[in-house]
Amino acid sequence: MAIKIIKKGISDTIQDIGRYGYQHLGIQANGYLDYLSARLANTILGNPTKSPVFEIHFPASSFTFTKSYIICISGANFVPVLNEKSIALDTAIEVKENDTLQFLKPIEGRISYIAIQGKIKEEAWLDSHSYFANSIQKDDQFEWEARPTMNKKMLPGNETITSLIINEIRSHVFSTSPLHFIPGPAWKDLTHESQKVFLSTGYHIGMQANRMGYPLKGALLQLSKPNQYLSAAVTRGTLQLLPNGELMVLMADHQTIGGYANLGQIILVDLPRLAQASNQTSIHFKETSIETAHKLYQQIEKKFIHRS
Amino acid sequence: MNWQLQLLGDHALVFSVEEKMSEEIISKMIALKKNIEAFHFDFIKELIPSYHTLTLVYDIELFYGSEIAKENNDSITDFGNALLTAFNSAATNVESVSSIKNLKSNNDLSEKKSFIELEKIIRIPVCYDERLGIDLENIVLKNKISVEEIIKIHSEETYLVYCLGFLPGFAYMGKVRESIQIARHASPRKEVAAGSVGIAGMQTGIYPMNSPGGWQIIGRTPLKIFDHNPAILGKLEAGNQIQFYPISFSEFEKLNEY
Repeated sequence: MAIKIIKKGISDTIQDIGRYGYQHLGIQANGYLDYLSARLANTILGNPTKSPVFEIHFPASSFTFTKSYIICISGANFVPVLNEKSIALDTAIEVKENDTLQFLKPIEGRISYIAIQGKIKEEAWLDSHSYFANSIQKDDQFEWEARPTMNKKMLPGNETITSLIINEIRSHVFSTSPLHFIPGPAWKDLTHESQKVFLSTGYHIGMQANRMGYPLKGALLQLSKPNQYLSAAVTRGTLQLLPNGELMVLMADHQTIGGYANLGQIILVDLPRLAQASNQTSIHFKETSIETAHKLYQQIEKKFIHRS
Repeated sequence: MNWQLQLLGDHALVFSVEEKMSEEIISKMIALKKNIEAFHFDFIKELIPSYHTLTLVYDIELFYGSEIAKENNDSITDFGNALLTAFNSAATNVESVSSIKNLKSNNDLSEKKSFIELEKIIRIPVCYDERLGIDLENIVLKNKISVEEIIKIHSEETYLVYCLGFLPGFAYMGKVRESIQIARHASPRKEVAAGSVGIAGMQTGIYPMNSPGGWQIIGRTPLKIFDHNPAILGKLEAGNQIQFYPISFSEFEKLNEY
């Protein structure tokens, strides 16, 4: 095998874009928490945009390579070091046999992605390598089939995406401006006062945040009716109001259905921003329309497509 | 029945009717699901029925790249309404569907028909032995009813699957008769064995895999109701009709697939 875990992180996984088409069977979609940083790493290496990557939290796993690869680390800055020498983010980097990759310290963001150039040698389940019950353990081994043409093609001087665009994506992902949301089925059931509070006060991410959901701490909200609904499908980014008045944002490993008040959804392009926010970040919300949400989504898609 | 169309964020729509747990409503959701599936739109990623709702998850880029988006003013809401119109027309046998061109709905999939043609009953063996039905005693004490009566009542009823969730393959079925209804445990067990059959209020369900869980366990099925093998996956879907039948402990051991 070619990539070996020599130290286990708190909750590292392999993720790709996720698995769609099976939620009616209760099978979760899973997938990247921050699709933009994962995509950035894959794009820099010339990989297909939805390829599997290592999704790393802090304290992070440590890796040893038993074969040469070209890798790219994007997303959070956990101070990656290769053989104890610090390496750059968002840059194609060559690793050689016996090189060791570690992460020292969380400086910015919550989730880092390691993309490996080539194709993972592991069987997908229902077209995806993401699965909610798998986390990376010590001594696990992974192998990527490096592209025959890999060589130095993606190394500095042969970029597949300009540094201007890399910076634009990064500043979007790490921006602290309000998160856009579209009101959902139970928004109208919030008291008028609670609607105002939600739109005007700041929240911060609670300690229990994980791949299933991020609890938000801040002003409690109230419904004008009992918080009891027949379960209906939920999506990533759903703002659920729990019976105690606290908010929970459903993330990539959310269950397929939910029975709590569904206040609305954070739009797709803003989910990476919540995913990467620190516990100290003050999170504000701003109502938006479907038209604006789709426009923002397409603007970011274009950055990746019209790279030069 | 009044249909409502709502946005669920920027990549899903919800079709819904009055919030009610009923056979008529869930079969209507299944009919709408089949009707939409028959169009084979490549931008639709999921159609998830649950009680009184059907949720459609779509790919934004593929939607805007499609012909049907252009026919609907590049509006996902207009598209959703067109789907409802097409469905209602199919249901009332109207031939022309103006907003969805070239796509005549198959009458076999109309809501009228599939409402009558509820799928055949799936029979599932359950061993209600107290070694497996570890919470039977709770129902006996709380509801003042014998174990024999609980088994008779639980296995006499035909249940309908209203939705799947919680875990891959976990089906929420109802309605459980009042005399054996019981609230879930105040705090969930750390591990419930795969195949365990439980009751929570008016619903009954089967744990497809070992998992934490709060339902009151009355027995266990020896059959795998979910298999990771892509050719098998879940045996149950929303709209299915289920009946349980009692088996002995020795039959359970013989049939046990776990």
